[in-house]
Amino acid sequence: MADFVADTEAAIALWHGITPPNPAAHRFTEDLRLVIGAFEALRESLGFEEEPSAFEAALREAKR
Amino acid sequence: MSLADLTLADAIAVGRDGGAAALLEACLERLQMVQPKLNAAIWVDAQAARDVAARMPRNGALPGIPLAHKDMYYQAGKPCTCGSAIRRDFVPTITATVIERLESAGSFTFAGLNMAEFAQNPTGHNAAFGDCKNPWNTDYITGGSSSGSGAAVAAGATFASLGSDTGGSIRLPAAACGVTGLKPTQTRVSRRGVMPLSFSADNAGPLARNARDCAIMLQVIAGHDPADPTSAAEPVPDYMAALTGDVRGLRIGIPTGALMTAADPQVQAAIEAACAVLAARGAVISRIDLPLMEAINTYVGIVSRVEGATIHARWMRGRAQDYAPHLAARLYAGAAIPGTYYVEALSRRGAILRAFAAEVFGQVDLIATPTIPTLLPTRAATDVDRFAQGEGDGGVVARFNAVSVNTRPFNYLGLPAISLNCGFDSNGLPIGLQLAARPFDEAILLCAADAYQRDTDFHSRMPPIA
Repeated sequence: MADFVADTEAAIALWHGITPPNPAAHRFTEDLRLVIGAFEALRESLGFEEEPSAFEAALREAKR
Repeated sequence: MSLADLTLADAIAVGRDGGAAALLEACLERLQMVQPKLNAAIWVDAQAARDVAARMPRNGALPGIPLAHKDMYYQAGKPCTCGSAIRRDFVPTITATVIERLESAGSFTFAGLNMAEFAQNPTGHNAAFGDCKNPWNTDYITGGSSSGSGAAVAAGATFASLGSDTGGSIRLPAAACGVTGLKPTQTRVSRRGVMPLSFSADNAGPLARNARDCAIMLQVIAGHDPADPTSAAEPVPDYMAALTGDVRGLRIGIPTGALMTAADPQVQAAIEAACAVLAARGAVISRIDLPLMEAINTYVGIVSRVEGATIHARWMRGRAQDYAPHLAARLYAGAAIPGTYYVEALSRRGAILRAFAAEVFGQVDLIATPTIPTLLPTRAATDVDRFAQGEGDGGVVARFNAVSVNTRPFNYLGLPAISLNCGFDSNGLPIGLQLAARPFDEAILLCAADAYQRDTDFHSRMPPIA
């Protein structure tokens, strides 16, 4: 866990030039594991992974 | 009775008779009375508003109507704090299209209202300007992020107010403060000149005392804006004409899953009772499974966090200490979510909407849920900034997150949704009914909400402070 937080914070510093603003930032960084878990769990569960985005078109299509 | 107690529809009649100045004075007097207890406004420009009121025309959809809005709508030459220390001295050089449209209809702005810092929380806490407080009981949250809009409308300090909604920020304060708030379909209303929070999910929309007043406001602000290419070219229907009271055959689905079953029993009972009112008018109530909720909840979080981190990166590099602690920590972690996740979350949005709409709207016309599934929490019980500084227990975060769990999914889906008061809990705080519909079907939401309000009086009750 410590490696995950340290590695992630190093990446944020490298890519964005931002350092943890307060102790709570470490907890939020740690919580990113949950984001990864939830995201990866969806990978094989959805039947339309190759569809293009077209959100605006979908809004129009879903009209009454 | 004060003129400030009028609905927007009734105030319009006064404005048409040349009563702009009287309406303004009534709002200013009410705001002055409640401001020490509610902290609903960040700035008030009474003199400029009086100057405008003195020369207001008597025509237009909003003739001589004074309004106060969430302090994130740009008006050239006027302050726009975005509820933040960082933008405390910001003075925009452009005016938001929606403000221009409201002004063209005859209204004018007299105050900028309190809000969550950068519209980034669902409770209304604000470390920079102080929390806005709930007019029904100042110990409790107003809901956020359009906290001042909810409180000021409820207290009679403005006839209506623009809020914004990225994860529930119109509907939550509408629910918590006992007013009516409408999040339009994504792309329905221009966002030019509106502070961005998460451009994929941001929406401008009204809070008002009832559905009819929301319809009046939406009629003015909806429609394509050439200056905002993301706004839809879909024609704008006559929303007032939709307020027929006729909901015969309208199919309303109450979710069988967590959006309903995880709610507090008092809240569940209020939602069931509200649906029964509509059923008595001929609506058909059924139970429905909402598909894809795990994906929707996962993706909406990724999109909002990445976009928030992107928008705030420049200040996070140099002024992170000027944010509230919880917000700074949240924005910080959002910077670590990879672009591939973000693109994937967005690229599936259309497909998920298609699948959701086909399954759900094949069975029902409206989805009915609690707006806030829990009993309304206190400000102390949801003070995540204290927790971020090492105080309080982890339950604070859970309670904070629970506030918007029922509203966020509709932002990812881009669906229109309305919140209206459907009763009061055992603490005397309002309970919100959320209705969601197909894209661009705001008219059916307004029709159903108006029909409900014809048979009930929750929407017309004023908090004792007013």
